[in-house]
Amino acid sequence: MAEGFRKTPAGYVAHFDPEEIKLLTKLFDDVALTLEPEESDSVDEFERMLGIKTDARPPSDNAVLRMLPIASDDPEVADEFRKFTELNLREQKMSALALASMDVQNQRVVLNEEHAHAWASALNDVRLTLGARLNLATDEDSARIERLYSEPESVEDIAGYMGLLYNFTTWLQDTLMTAMLESLEN
Amino acid sequence: MACSTAVLSVAEPEAMTLPSIDSDESVAPDTPWKVIVWNDPVNLMSYVTYVFRSHFGFSAEKAQKLMLAVHEEGKAVVFVGSREEAEQHTSAMHGWGLWATFERVQEN
Repeated sequence: MAEGFRKTPAGYVAHFDPEEIKLLTKLFDDVALTLEPEESDSVDEFERMLGIKTDARPPSDNAVLRMLPIASDDPEVADEFRKFTELNLREQKMSALALASMDVQNQRVVLNEEHAHAWASALNDVRLTLGARLNLATDEDSARIERLYSEPESVEDIAGYMGLLYNFTTWLQDTLMTAMLESLEN
Repeated sequence: MACSTAVLSVAEPEAMTLPSIDSDESVAPDTPWKVIVWNDPVNLMSYVTYVFRSHFGFSAEKAQKLMLAVHEEGKAVVFVGSREEAEQHTSAMHGWGLWATFERVQEN
């Protein structure tokens, strides 16, 4: 059973059992895969090198759209913003997820500030993805998931399994954020 | 926004309508822009507070106040200034996974 993050003189420390390591690795890796630029993004190599997207359409996957949301209700402003920021944001998120995926290969995880930042953002993107797959639209929806799937025994189907993963990552992220806020205060 | 113990309900994000950006040509080019962070059911209160503290350098009190505004009123303005800066902050918020938009400040 995992022990959530706490702040220690060595850094932010958490413990995971082998099953949890497998789960977290899979979550970090799967979400990173969904963030791979879509095929149409690689058409113009030069623009790609400059981090500019040729096609400014929003991502078709709901979960990816949640991680890379529409920045303005003016379509022209939103398209221009996406064209110039989206590829960088995808890369930034993918590297945070890759870092977290590497860090979690030990049962005792110790993070410095840089890695803690990556974990905070990676866990958030995992939760945004699970939240989108679970169709969480309101705060009531997430409260319902929290009530329904607190114990592994309560899980009977895929939605229940995702609910359990959502609650586990919620708890883990909250322990990390509490510890990181504590360091900011000192 | 979610917290690990209790979660309050607010309007679902998709149901919110964003005020439209003023595209009137007569608007002065130096009209400031603002960045809005919207509530969503996933982001934790502790996380939003942390992002506001670390990215904008807000005091604990200010970060907490803005986080609660997002949570309870559905949105909060976290920055007012030039368009370029507003775009940079919006992109940073997206990097953190917060749902942010930017628009021209409406003159009344």
